[in-house]
Amino acid sequence: MSLKPRQVDFNATWKAIKETIRGVITLDHVPRTVWNDRFSDVYSLCVAYPEPLADRLYAETRQYLIDHVAQLLIKVQQDGEQSLVKNYFLYWTQYSAGSRYLHSLYLYLNQQHIRTQRMSDAEIIYGSIDPNVAIQGDQMEIGELALQVWQTNMISPLGHRLVKLLLEAIDLDRAGLPPKIPIEAVKGTILSFVEVQAYRKKSQLQLYVELFEMPFLNASGEHFKKDAAILLQERNVSLYMEKVKAKIDEELFRARQFLYSSSLPKVADRCQQHMIAEHLQFLYSECQNMVKFEQRKDLSNMYDLLKTVPNALVSLVDTVFDHIKNQGLAAIHNLQGDSVHINFVENLLTVYKKYRALINEVFKSDQNFMGALDKACNSVINHRPNDGRSPCRSPELLAKYCDTLLKKSSKGICESEVDEKLSESIIIFKYIDDKDVFQKFYSRSLAKRLIHQQTQSMDAEEAMINRLKQACGYEFTSKLHRMFTDMSVSADLNNKFQTFLNNDKIELGINFGIYVLQAGAWPLGQAVVTPFALPQQLEKSVQMFESFYHNKFNGRKLTWLHHLCQAELKLGYLRKPYVVTVQTFQMAILLLFEKVDTLSCKEIKETLQLNSEQFKRHAVSLVDSKLLLADTEDIDEFETNLRLNLDYSNKRTKFRITAAVQKETPHEVEQTMNSVEEDRKMYLQAAIVRIMKSRKVLKHNLLIQEVYSQSKVSFAPSVQLIKKCIESLIDKQYIERTPHSSEEYSYVA
Amino acid sequence: MADENDNDRIDDNQKPEKMFTLKKWNAVAMWSWDVECDTCAICRVQVMDACLRCQAESKKDSYGKQDCVVVWGECNHSFHYCCMSLWVKQNNRCPLCQQEWSIQRMGK
Repeated sequence: MSLKPRQVDFNATWKAIKETIRGVITLDHVPRTVWNDRFSDVYSLCVAYPEPLADRLYAETRQYLIDHVAQLLIKVQQDGEQSLVKNYFLYWTQYSAGSRYLHSLYLYLNQQHIRTQRMSDAEIIYGSIDPNVAIQGDQMEIGELALQVWQTNMISPLGHRLVKLLLEAIDLDRAGLPPKIPIEAVKGTILSFVEVQAYRKKSQLQLYVELFEMPFLNASGEHFKKDAAILLQERNVSLYMEKVKAKIDEELFRARQFLYSSSLPKVADRCQQHMIAEHLQFLYSECQNMVKFEQRKDLSNMYDLLKTVPNALVSLVDTVFDHIKNQGLAAIHNLQGDSVHINFVENLLTVYKKYRALINEVFKSDQNFMGALDKACNSVINHRPNDGRSPCRSPELLAKYCDTLLKKSSKGICESEVDEKLSESIIIFKYIDDKDVFQKFYSRSLAKRLIHQQTQSMDAEEAMINRLKQACGYEFTSKLHRMFTDMSVSADLNNKFQTFLNNDKIELGINFGIYVLQAGAWPLGQAVVTPFALPQQLEKSVQMFESFYHNKFNGRKLTWLHHLCQAELKLGYLRKPYVVTVQTFQMAILLLFEKVDTLSCKEIKETLQLNSEQFKRHAVSLVDSKLLLADTEDIDEFETNLRLNLDYSNKRTKFRITAAVQKETPHEVEQTMNSVEEDRKMYLQAAIVRIMKSRKVLKHNLLIQEVYSQSKVSFAPSVQLIKKCIESLIDKQYIERTPHSSEEYSYVA
Repeated sequence: MADENDNDRIDDNQKPEKMFTLKKWNAVAMWSWDVECDTCAICRVQVMDACLRCQAESKKDSYGKQDCVVVWGECNHSFHYCCMSLWVKQNNRCPLCQQEWSIQRMGK
């Protein structure tokens, strides 16, 4: 066969084509040779001489399809309403497949004749022309034409009757009754509304949405409302939620079974609106109790349901917040006894962990609930008892808790356990507002542990400091680090001093060790250096070390902190030899009894040049330990005589007299709080000056805000305190009130 | 037993064992720069602490810096060495007394 254009007899050719079309569209048997011939016929008509007959071919084909569909319309209806859907689906399946084949048969026409005269994709998608209009005026590819013919000649007359039957079928399914129409016919019919427009570039789902989806959703909405009303009559929230959840799942399953996938979210949406959003008050009514009794299943259901409605969670989140807060406060309420700090931290951690687990499990770690947990912990941990009149003790208690863990005495806990507990304490630490207070208490206890060699493990200490650094930054822990460094520097120093002594063959007569601390880094500032006459046994050590130290370092002066020094004394006058660890002052008092059995307090005090406070503290501790005996009930520094107890006995041969040294006295706590207060004032004043220096002029409220945001890393200052600091800076003429407003300050350069 | 103890005391020379023997002494001392004024007049930070610059830089460092030492001039005024070495580039006089600056000693 030649591809050359030639004269063609349209009627004869069309007759042959028409016959084949009938076979193709009804899926009848069409032999390959016939198919090939018709394919060529389409070609030859399109390129016919003297003029192409393509338009005529198109028009005839269109007319043929219209006639064909008209016949099918009659067939579809012939078995009455009962079988309408079934028949429709049957002929639709046949017709849609047939039209795809037909499309291939007309390949040449489609590609060469029609596609060239159509608008480009861009014109269709971005042009403002209504796709319906545009396509109707134009010629369409044959496959599309077939679908369009189906739509206008089949769906248009039948559509509403079909939809009515479809909705009835779905209602039947909802009611759990056996289907009257095969399920695949229902689904196929519904999907045909989509497929028939699938060739469109724009608003492909228009027919589906308008013809079927909208009526379906409206009918479903009514159904959901009725359903909800029935369920509500039981007045049982937890049952209601169960049922609603099941209902939503069921409806989604149904939607997947019958509908086009784009409808799924819409169905869920309707369901949620009618069954949840419209009954929020009912759901909330049981919220309190569910949270109170921590009914996990119900809460989990509640979460799943409320999550779907915008803003509906807020009320639940608030309830959870209140509950956690109350539980937290109850856990630390009225703690008493020696282990308050341990109970405090561990109870809080229990509450925290419990609710974090609950939120993970029940609320799927939802950010809103995590936020509520944070907020609740924050307000519990920074809670000030007595309506805010008493100070918050959390920083102190937490520091004490860490101290207990890091101290040697912690009995029966293995290292990994200590480590774990310390990392958990960071959880509490992060919630503390007054981190600076914690730092004060922590550094005090760290200093004590280091100086009195009570540290369990240096690794644990360092790990803890690193954790704090991670949480609060370098500045927060720089002093703690310096204390730590001093320890290793001192160890090194001791070795060098020993070498020095050995080289020069000097005997000190005692086993001498020393910590040299860097002034400023250690929280010992308040402890004033008291006058003290050094016992002669120590003089050589002190002299040798000072000369060694000054030789080694330039420009440094050493201050001996005798109240922190410790000595081991061997007692040789008792039945058993005892070794007792005492403070330097206690040692000095005891050493005076080398030659005499009884001394008056006055004598001792004068010999040692101790002040009254120090003397009394240590004398009392020695009398309490029964090493010394007093001849009066209370020790009076002028009248009492002290006598050596020559009948002293102790089960242990090595012991320590500690009472006076290590107990954290209320006085010390107060001192710590005061020094915190001072530091805060300095910090705030510095912040105010910094801000004013860069801003020059600033309104009162803005200044307060700025200061607050700068300082909140380590503590939450009261507005009162900030005001006080502003006042004192005005007095010191760093800043002044501007002349035209008392609410504004300016920086004085 | 009490008698025995009394004997000990009466006759010290026969028994060398003393009543109290000092075995061990763990001393604690604090060091600070031997200065008249404990604030550096240039950066207004205590001389015991590192100067402002060093504090800012050592933020990257995990341990406190030991290197920021003190320097004394012939006039006996003292400053952070870091602060003073920047100062003398501008003006070779002591910022406090305006005497010609020359180093008397350095902290170590």
